[in-house]
Amino acid sequence: MFNTIYIESQVADHARVAEICARFPKATRVECDRYGEVFNPNAQDFRLQKNNPALILAHKHKGHVLTAPQGYGIGGERNHYFSHMLNCLYDCRYCFLQGMYRSAHHVLYVNYEDFAEEIDRTLAAAGKQASWFFSGYDCDSLAMEPVSGFVEHFLPFFAARPQAWLELRTKSTQIRSLLKVEALPNVVVAFSFTPDEVYRALEHKVPGIERRLEAMLQLQQAGWPLGLRFDPMIYQDDYQAHYRTLFAQLFSRLDSAALHSVSLGTFRLPRGYFKKMVQLYPDERLFAGSFETCNDMVSYPRAQEQEMTDFCTQELLRHIPESLLFPCSLGA
Amino acid sequence: MIHIVSALPAEARPLIDHFRLHEKSTSGGFRIHQGNGIALVISGPGKVAAAAATALLASRLAAGTQATWLNIGIAGHADLEIGQGLLAHRITDRASGQNWYPPRVFDLPLESAGLLTVDTPENDYPQAVAYDMEASGFYPVAARFSTSELVQCYKVISDNRKQGTGSVSAQQCTRLIAARLEEIDSLLQSLGDLQQQHHGRHAGNDDVNRLAGQWHFTVSQQHQLADLARRWCALIPDQPLWLDSLKTHDSAARVLNTLREHLDALPTRLAAETGADRV
Repeated sequence: MFNTIYIESQVADHARVAEICARFPKATRVECDRYGEVFNPNAQDFRLQKNNPALILAHKHKGHVLTAPQGYGIGGERNHYFSHMLNCLYDCRYCFLQGMYRSAHHVLYVNYEDFAEEIDRTLAAAGKQASWFFSGYDCDSLAMEPVSGFVEHFLPFFAARPQAWLELRTKSTQIRSLLKVEALPNVVVAFSFTPDEVYRALEHKVPGIERRLEAMLQLQQAGWPLGLRFDPMIYQDDYQAHYRTLFAQLFSRLDSAALHSVSLGTFRLPRGYFKKMVQLYPDERLFAGSFETCNDMVSYPRAQEQEMTDFCTQELLRHIPESLLFPCSLGA
Repeated sequence: MIHIVSALPAEARPLIDHFRLHEKSTSGGFRIHQGNGIALVISGPGKVAAAAATALLASRLAAGTQATWLNIGIAGHADLEIGQGLLAHRITDRASGQNWYPPRVFDLPLESAGLLTVDTPENDYPQAVAYDMEASGFYPVAARFSTSELVQCYKVISDNRKQGTGSVSAQQCTRLIAARLEEIDSLLQSLGDLQQQHHGRHAGNDDVNRLAGQWHFTVSQQHQLADLARRWCALIPDQPLWLDSLKTHDSAARVLNTLREHLDALPTRLAAETGADRV
């Protein structure tokens, strides 16, 4: 899986680093002073690195928990996100991560305890108010679970803090660590989907829709609160038929009444990210369509965006109550 | 184009023979050999000379960001066998303490090691790394002219604690490099594949040049034209950008409008790919 593992000197003796390295006995281990020496240099080609990314094991010094952008949330007032990893195993052409970092290497911050402390400080500041923590912002929450053990570490933590809500956002089927323990009412496992035609064209290395659905069914049976994320929605001329088929496929098997939340949002990116992604993938048809730039965000033309949102909202409301539906606004 | 920087004539000789390079020029005391898509410069020993030779080669050949750069030479190591070839996965300049990490994004069964660039020959080999005298001069300069995945340092171990630097003759140096030519070929093949992937995204468009020669495009319009050409190649790669209807247009603005209208009228579909990489 990884041919090269870069290890920050500061965490070279960390028990978690030893465990992770033991999983890759053939990988070349390279010690570095600070991970930024490897991850941040200018002259890097994200697309070339994406073919064969390295793993970087590092220590996160600050900013363990950050305030979520406006409009990002599923009903809570206090929304935060944290990134124990940077970059994703998957290669979804529409994902903003393709334009975010210079390097495609996977950074894993191994000092989970510092994340936990910061979450506790955030909870203390909120008093008795519920706080949401989104973990799948700069990575997929579950895809690297066998390597990172991140969820396994954090489930007992959230079990002891019922006022803290955790969203695990994923396209992965790595659910063993969840099935091993009793379901937690304050941990929502949210699966992202696009129609099969979009999946086949744009979601490289991602488990298929049916496999993700199977994983959801297992989790639902085990009592885990589940979320559905249709974000980003991708436009094609026949998008209506595709999304209708996708919704029918999912809701014919999932127990809608037991879903925690459903959210949707159209394809949108900060202008700088969009520009970088176009440079990386100039031959990508997704980026060859018509787009508009508004407030430094690139998105589909307003009318097209509204039409998609309206259509998908109406279709979803045939399957779920409105109280479960959370549209993501532009800029989120 | 592949650019090779070697310090010594004895290191360069087997490469010049193997790749059938011919001496093209001498500038600033640096001899440049070329042929078959490869250019090799003999820098002389030391990191300053390596940096200067690298910069010279880049300027002489107007190297773009698609070029492959390889520093090939000998190095010492405390324990590794003499004759062992390796890639540098970390380059450290002993004098400044600065580090560089050449990304390895190709699959090749090739050993790697840390490489410490020193100013004078090292005979004690105190650290578990390879020792050379050029890499920290070569790497940061070459990485200014190309993407770092295409910039690598390949070294053959010439001395160790059992046989120190004093035992390395020019003839032995040539023999050591010559014995690794097959491995060097494989490395260049892998780097060449990467270079092609990288180059594919940065290649120019002949149709754009033709249009730009026919009408006057302002700088802003040139950007618009490049973006329309990019969309065109993504959506209808088999159709030439040069439309017959453009012939009657009297301004660049009208050309841009026509191209934009043509693209916007196309159906919006995402190309389905093969299922080869499905999990």
